[in-house]
Amino acid sequence: MNKLIILCIAITIWSCSKNTDFDEIYQPIPVTVEVPANFPEMTYNLDNNPVTEDGIALGKKLFFDGRLSANNSIPCAFCHEQAFAFTHHGHTVSHGVDGNVGKRNAQPIQNMAFQREFMWDGASSHLDLQPIIPITSDLEMGETLSNVIQKLQTDNEYKKLFRRAFEDGNINSENMLKALSQFMIVMISSNSKYDKYVRQEDNVTLTAIEQDGLNTFTAKCTSCHATDLFTDESYRNNGLPVNPQLNDLGRFDILENPDDLYKFKVPSLRNIEVTYPYMHDGRFSTLEAVLNFYNQGMVDNGNVDPSLLRTDGSYGISLTAYEKTSIIAFLKTLTDYEFLNDERFAEYE
Amino acid sequence: MKFIKLTFAIMLSLTILSCTSDDDSNTEDLTGQTGNLVLKFDNGVGDQDFIFGTTYNKSNGESYSLTTLKYLISNVRFTDENGNEFMFPHDDNVFIIDEATANNAGEIWLTLNNVDAANYTSVTFGIGIDQERYALGAEGQGDFLTEAADAGMMWSWATGFRFTRFDGTYSSATITDEALNIHMGSVGTSLDNYREVTLSLPNNARVRQTTTPEVHIKADIAKVFDSDTTSINFADGYSQVHTNTETTTVIANNMSTIFTVHHVHNE
Repeated sequence: MNKLIILCIAITIWSCSKNTDFDEIYQPIPVTVEVPANFPEMTYNLDNNPVTEDGIALGKKLFFDGRLSANNSIPCAFCHEQAFAFTHHGHTVSHGVDGNVGKRNAQPIQNMAFQREFMWDGASSHLDLQPIIPITSDLEMGETLSNVIQKLQTDNEYKKLFRRAFEDGNINSENMLKALSQFMIVMISSNSKYDKYVRQEDNVTLTAIEQDGLNTFTAKCTSCHATDLFTDESYRNNGLPVNPQLNDLGRFDILENPDDLYKFKVPSLRNIEVTYPYMHDGRFSTLEAVLNFYNQGMVDNGNVDPSLLRTDGSYGISLTAYEKTSIIAFLKTLTDYEFLNDERFAEYE
Repeated sequence: MKFIKLTFAIMLSLTILSCTSDDDSNTEDLTGQTGNLVLKFDNGVGDQDFIFGTTYNKSNGESYSLTTLKYLISNVRFTDENGNEFMFPHDDNVFIIDEATANNAGEIWLTLNNVDAANYTSVTFGIGIDQERYALGAEGQGDFLTEAADAGMMWSWATGFRFTRFDGTYSSATITDEALNIHMGSVGTSLDNYREVTLSLPNNARVRQTTTPEVHIKADIAKVFDSDTTSINFADGYSQVHTNTETTTVIANNMSTIFTVHHVHNE
């Protein structure tokens, strides 16, 4: 009888130690998210979702996992590739499950914790909830939240990762979305040549043409591309001829307000060199084409932003050939090679 | 020893006295006691029960028939006879009222557990999701995002909840069975369509460990379209209500007029 009791105790202790395997318990290692000195305040409230190493690791795995889509083959990273500042290399608009084609150009994922609203039309006002749009859109990943959660729940690796990332260890939509947010929160691009120049780091200076470009940019572009995030986060109609095939009404879709017709969110210009093609529908493949459009391609589609009205009554931003060349030279100083090559965000480290 | 005995005697008598005086004012001590409470949502149209597929007439000659009838309720709380408020725990305080899940009596039951024992005189709840809860993102949502998505109470083109979902058809003298879809919610921080209602209870809901009151709430769906103040015409932009500031606001305001408490059972 005594032997039996000892055996029972031994089994109990053994099973305990197996359950509390270091791999499987919640031991949060906090990650401090630094706000770059030249950035505005962070909008994301980290108190509601404290960033940890295991949270980021889980978010990263989810970001690269095709099982978030209906056919198990379209992960977030499909349209958001690191080398192109997490845009869809070269695609005007992106394609999703079943060969479906979307109607907008994939935007970069960078500095998301500093933005108030997301998507070209501002359809999401919280970073946590943003992934619901691509996951459930028929044109993108075409899946349901509950299917995704079911798939994750049957995966032993995810069981472990959720336990490590969250105190309650639950595999549910709350924790999945929080982990994706943690991964996106730390995707901060703030170490371009321009950043080092404005923060006076490493004795970085701009060349003469880059400096000329910055001066012209400051004079003619910063009323919309404001702050060192290079967007004021407003929605504006920049006078693009409407593509009748897409007939994308922009921000109008959100509130059905006629004043919002053809308005899109002013995009950040960080890493703009690698995020081609440009505009909400990717119609311009080079920065030259973009600046030529601003100089001489705008049309009055009925709701163009008044800041773009020239004194002669036409719409546009007048730019000389040298101003265009120098602005492009300046824009290339916004390329952040540390971010584009950061192994923390790479699928294979 | 004598001193201790005396102290004991005084304390004992004080205790008895305090008990007696409580009894005199007819107040039971409910501290720490909790119980359950049931909210029964009963959708109707005027003086009729609501039934899917039945055609109901509106004030202006239009008629309608629905195949889906759902709305979101949140931030349920109760006020007792002393003015104290009991708020049901935040993270679990969002509910989908779906007519398709109603029992044979046409009632959707929300059973609230661990409600503080008290004599409640009114119930307050929100219709939809308030801005504060939106601002939390995924925090505290648990499985609700999944549940709402499965119930068709979320949009896939934007990250918002649908506060109401009425699908069906409408007809008039000139229109036959045109589509009717009222999917209304807030739009980010730009448009707040969350509304709250406070309903006084005709008799107190006495929550005790052993007593589960049932609050019978009638929801008059006719008032979504013909409220006491605002009647709408489906044909004038109200057959498809989604995000338009004007039409969604009218529906939100009308939704806040549809609820009354018919009676409370204290079993």
